[in-house]
Amino acid sequence: MADPYKPRAPFAPWDRRTLPGIFDVEESARRVGNYKWAEMKLFEALGGWVATVPELDVKMRLGTHCYKHAWHAELWHKRLPELREMNPERLTAPANDAMVRFVEAMTEPEAPEQTIEKLVGVYRVFIPRFIAAYTYHLNGTSEITDAPTVRSLKFILQDEFDDWRDGEMILQSLIETPEEASRAAAHMQQLEAIMIEAGGIAGVGTLGAS
Amino acid sequence: MRKFFPVEELARDERFNKITMRDRMGDPRTALNVSNDAPAKRPTNLRLTPDRSDASDGARSLMHGIFVGEIQALEGAGRTCWDFETGTEAPFALKLDMARQCWDEARHVEISVKLSDWMGGEIGQYAENTVLFEAACSTDPVLRLAGVNRALEGLAIDVFTTMKEFGDLAGDPYLEFCEDWMLADEVTHVKMGSDWLRKITEHDPDRRKKALEFQSVVDKLFSYGGTRSESQESPIGLARRFRELAGFTDDEVDDIAQLSMQALNERKSAVAQARADQMRDAAAQFATSAAAE
Repeated sequence: MADPYKPRAPFAPWDRRTLPGIFDVEESARRVGNYKWAEMKLFEALGGWVATVPELDVKMRLGTHCYKHAWHAELWHKRLPELREMNPERLTAPANDAMVRFVEAMTEPEAPEQTIEKLVGVYRVFIPRFIAAYTYHLNGTSEITDAPTVRSLKFILQDEFDDWRDGEMILQSLIETPEEASRAAAHMQQLEAIMIEAGGIAGVGTLGAS
Repeated sequence: MRKFFPVEELARDERFNKITMRDRMGDPRTALNVSNDAPAKRPTNLRLTPDRSDASDGARSLMHGIFVGEIQALEGAGRTCWDFETGTEAPFALKLDMARQCWDEARHVEISVKLSDWMGGEIGQYAENTVLFEAACSTDPVLRLAGVNRALEGLAIDVFTTMKEFGDLAGDPYLEFCEDWMLADEVTHVKMGSDWLRKITEHDPDRRKKALEFQSVVDKLFSYGGTRSESQESPIGLARRFRELAGFTDDEVDDIAQLSMQALNERKSAVAQARADQMRDAAAQFATSAAAE
């Protein structure tokens, strides 16, 4: 056994964590507040849509995914006071007005014949944006100073990937004709246009570029 | 998407047949029927047990009822996530609980589908009574919690306990195992309802009174004319122990027991009256034909 009193390096050779990260405390809190707002809007919409979709398998998936996004919102809610925001409601806000319009447009479909539009909005536009924003945050922040956010991001990203895969596979099974493919593409284009204006889940600069 | 979704528009595929409470009670396969071919004397023990001659069909019917009930519970919890503004109309934590309930109910739908298949049933084999979702349509979230989490989910505790016992008596560990897991979730849901009811109405006795009155109405409605009570004449029993775990006081359980017995007695009176009317009509018809001859 090695001599326990022999000095060892505080960071093992395989530990590549670095200081500093690209976000200060305030910027991290602002982003987390945007994430919480967006996750809330998503879980509320998924819950509301359950009663409106006739497809039994979709109904059950929406119910399951509803909880996952609520849990993400809860994780961000709990993180905010740790980032010096003692009133979490203050930073629980959309990144900008375009993000509000995006959520309104995404949640607009209600008719039972519009399952494709509902799923396209969530699984082809909104969730890919979450994956992008969270991945950027994970890659840019310090794994030392911001370790609690990193831990949450890793749990949440796993959910996002799982749900994206679920939703995409359901969509592929629902889209059976060229007309339905056009419907999906048209709706996606409409929502993407608003999302581009919003700049992403955390607004312009979500992925670093201003 | 609108706030407050009408029960008539609940989305279903073509296998489902939605009916009203009146239609359901008129179904000849219900335990309390007054048709001409029904036995003249009501059996004194109607509890769902494997030794009943109609046990298989009764269990399949109850399982289908659980299945559609879980769908509506899922839809109701989901609507509570959507219908109320966070903070101003419903606390954030309450909505998180409702989202959690969505996940639980979605799993219950999955379990019910698999159990129905295991028992030889099919989706749509029985009609769907949408009265459960109606309890989730209140514009006050506290009333919804009282109606859905305390009354409806309370009924689910009773139903799952009955089904679990049925599985045990029938030597079906698969059924017993699944029902026990669902029962654990339902106790959690009822406790959520009890906790939120007390918390939100802590300084608002009028709102609490209103919510408890609504729960009482729903409880009586969900007693299905005596389908659930402590009497052996009811197919579904009242699960006192699990209700206590879920936050019901002894007095509250006593009230539900009394209400259920009242519903059973009212239904028995209605059946007796219907039989008397049938006899009177038949006698009148006989007298008319005899006079004509």
